[in-house]
Amino acid sequence: MIRFALLLAAFSAAAHAPQLPDFRNIAAQAGLRDIFPNGGITSKKYIIETTGSGAAFLDYNNDGLLDIFVLSGKGGTNRLYRNDGNGLFTDVTRETGLTSDGWSQGVCAGDFDNDGFTDLVVTSWGGITLYRNVEGRRFENITHQAHLDQSRVRYNTGCAFLDYDNDGKLDLFVANYVKFDVATAPKPGENPYCWYRDLAVNCGPRGLPFDRNILYHNNGDGTFTDVSDASGISKPDQSYCLGVLTGDFNQDGRTDIFVACDQTPSLLYINRGDGTFSEEALLRGAAFDENGKAMSGMGATSADYDGDGKPDIFRSNFSDERETLYHNRGGAEFDDVTIAAGMAHNTRFVGWGCGFFDFDNSGWKGLFLANGHVFPEVDRLKIDIHYKDRAILYRNNGNGTFTDISGRAGPGILERHAARGVAFGDYDNDGSVEILVNNQNEMPSLLKCERKPAGNWVILALQGTISNRSAIGARVRLTAGARTQIDEVRSGGSYLSQNDLRLHFGLGTASKIDRVDIDWPGGVHQVERHLEVNRIVTVREPRR
Amino acid sequence: MPATKSALGLRTLAIRKHAYGLCSAERVLAIVAQAYGVFCRRPAAFSSIAAKSRRSPPKSGVGLRYKPTPQVLAKAAVFFLFGGVLFAQDPVAKGIEEFHQGDYAAAKITLEQALKRKPNDAHARTFLALSRAATGGCDAASNDLYDAFTNQQDADLRRLAGLALVECHLAHNRLDAAMPVARALQRDFPADADVLYEAARLYMKAWNDVVYQMFQKTPASYRVNQVSAEIFEIQGRYTEAAAEYRKAIEKNPAAINLHFRLGRALLLHSHSPETLAAARKEFEAELKLTPGDAVAEYEIGQILLAENKPHEAAPRFEHALAESPDFTEALLAVAKVRADAKRYDQAIPLLERAVRLQPANESAHYNLMIAYRNAGRTADAQREKEEVDKLKRPPSGEFTEFLKKLGEKAPNQ
Repeated sequence: MIRFALLLAAFSAAAHAPQLPDFRNIAAQAGLRDIFPNGGITSKKYIIETTGSGAAFLDYNNDGLLDIFVLSGKGGTNRLYRNDGNGLFTDVTRETGLTSDGWSQGVCAGDFDNDGFTDLVVTSWGGITLYRNVEGRRFENITHQAHLDQSRVRYNTGCAFLDYDNDGKLDLFVANYVKFDVATAPKPGENPYCWYRDLAVNCGPRGLPFDRNILYHNNGDGTFTDVSDASGISKPDQSYCLGVLTGDFNQDGRTDIFVACDQTPSLLYINRGDGTFSEEALLRGAAFDENGKAMSGMGATSADYDGDGKPDIFRSNFSDERETLYHNRGGAEFDDVTIAAGMAHNTRFVGWGCGFFDFDNSGWKGLFLANGHVFPEVDRLKIDIHYKDRAILYRNNGNGTFTDISGRAGPGILERHAARGVAFGDYDNDGSVEILVNNQNEMPSLLKCERKPAGNWVILALQGTISNRSAIGARVRLTAGARTQIDEVRSGGSYLSQNDLRLHFGLGTASKIDRVDIDWPGGVHQVERHLEVNRIVTVREPRR
Repeated sequence: MPATKSALGLRTLAIRKHAYGLCSAERVLAIVAQAYGVFCRRPAAFSSIAAKSRRSPPKSGVGLRYKPTPQVLAKAAVFFLFGGVLFAQDPVAKGIEEFHQGDYAAAKITLEQALKRKPNDAHARTFLALSRAATGGCDAASNDLYDAFTNQQDADLRRLAGLALVECHLAHNRLDAAMPVARALQRDFPADADVLYEAARLYMKAWNDVVYQMFQKTPASYRVNQVSAEIFEIQGRYTEAAAEYRKAIEKNPAAINLHFRLGRALLLHSHSPETLAAARKEFEAELKLTPGDAVAEYEIGQILLAENKPHEAAPRFEHALAESPDFTEALLAVAKVRADAKRYDQAIPLLERAVRLQPANESAHYNLMIAYRNAGRTADAQREKEEVDKLKRPPSGEFTEFLKKLGEKAPNQ
């Protein structure tokens, strides 16, 4: 009798245990077989070999299917893969004019000219490139015409389109890492900043000069103006900046900018609404970890992970550091809640691309984090810190805490790579979000959950009319059943990468969507009611 | 005890050292230890002074280059203006110039002759002593070097004499005599790289001699295993360090601090759950030996945090603080527990106390700033922010050389 009772208890527990995802890497079978070089494989001489590169999900030809764009370091080319709609991708780099050379770093997408086609910016060591999407057929490099040439070689990293002045035209933010020149850069072991655990390694960022971030204002005539100084963006000059995350963190209707910075304070630019920003990360609690120490911030992502209606921030960091989860108390004042949220234990990884996403459509966003060390030499130490390492997947418990399910979430999570950029998107429109990972000197990974998520879902594809066409900066509040969720359309994010511009919501058992509130960056408040679930819903901004 | 051990313990978990790209304490020590091997094989010789002097960057203003006083400058000016005509008239200036040129043998002869004519010329006597020391004549030079070091008004000459004296004592293994000179140099020239370098050499030599003696006289003692483990640890060879600590524990299970050091070495080696558990076991063992060991208690709390067990960690921090009320890291840890529970009125006094105990503790100021902010004390938070800003300001000139290389202005310019 007792044995029967125990058995029943075990069965009952299993019945209530959340379903685990089963992520598998299907890159090769989907046609993503190219290697993307990025510096040395067993050792790296310069820091430029360590930071690349990003990846993107975007629908460049407006066929409703997400295409894939992967950036390369020197020795390769960035590649655009068209989604053929049958689970296969075709390399269309050459015919779309995206062949490249050099050290590409980051990518961000947005329809800067509001012509209905998503344009691209690629950052690199050397400058940025603006690719105008010509009717979904090809891309045209219009960097020079757009006045985006840079006067000196810069180490551009993260980027994001944003409409900081809500004028309906997408502006462009570009983060900068260090001032770097091969001719003057010290060699491994040359000074104290070129050592890691007794290994002579590439130098920096410490010891290399800081650079400043850039904001370009969209003039609306196909050109941009550098407003870095006038806007206050260039004021911070003591941070090594990488990942860019935009969002209305203080919920005042204006887009703010968070920048994850390496070994230095991360930055939080608060949009003052008059064309200027003030950097306020320290007092707002988003610059450091809970000990007041600067982390080696790499990537960043945002979500309202605890359902309190305020956007929180996650930042990936270096090994021997905890990742950082900043909880938004309201008004963009943050507390480091990493420990309380159950994320304190993964300290052996160097984290890069990251994203909150609802992999089980439960209505609560989990978190994926890709890892890989900057120093291939670390493998010589034979310790538990590795150059190529597995990813981490956290399930959101719905109570402010997360459970690390990395070991039970499928072989795709456990594959070891020197991962960098990560993008999230539902490329086959089945309601389950896939993960694209750019791995240094390897094929990218395309992680697909082979187990259909139990919950319902909806994808909102927003189209601006008064606001920018990409709806970047539009804030959505969705209520289905007992849950209300928020999200925002973002350009850039993760680590130097671009997610699907559409918004995916897991809905759990809710069979309909009661209400969707959209605050468009142009000021329009739109309400949609009684939407069906398990579909892609296109929402156009109403004209006033 | 907590103060000493906390600095060590904090490297493991609480404030994970930022090894990436930075010159961590371990790295420095490892370099020191490696460099020491060279010193052991190469007895110090003061004859290198001149060579070092010539290698010093022309504008560095440091090194063993002598910065002459106006009096000496006047002599040198006369020398340059009237050249050989005055050589015969002022052999002191000639000898000093020969010293500057690195021709110590000639300087010695010239200055010896000069002193015959001017036996009371203090500069001549000092430079003669320096020249003698530079040419291997430490015995003849020592008294005059000591006189110059203790009585010379010219600080640069005094510094040079002191450095030479330390070198001479080191060369003759007279460590006891060298120690007070090195300490006085450190006191008078606390930011002088050459002074610090010589002092480091001296202390390393002393350390090495004693360790060598330990290996010779007590080879089977647990202390030999302990010191071996500590050397391995600073070299980053944590597996070997742990093995040596285990041998030491086997020989003397009642010795304090061994379990603590073993736990720390384990944590430095790995981040795996198994390692966390093994390290915790060692800290618990340390606590059995020393029940009031606040740092071991604190380390256990940190491990529990890393294991996502904040509720179990909290009482360990509380206990650590009860055992050692001035243990700043424990103050911070307990304050954070209270702040996490939104008990800011209880967290703030602890943080204020931490700031009083360690005014330069960035973490204390930062947590106090956040606690004030969350408690709605905006003005206090702003004040603490200014403190954090001050503490975070990078040392001036840190990147200047690199910026110059790139033709850029320094960040603050």
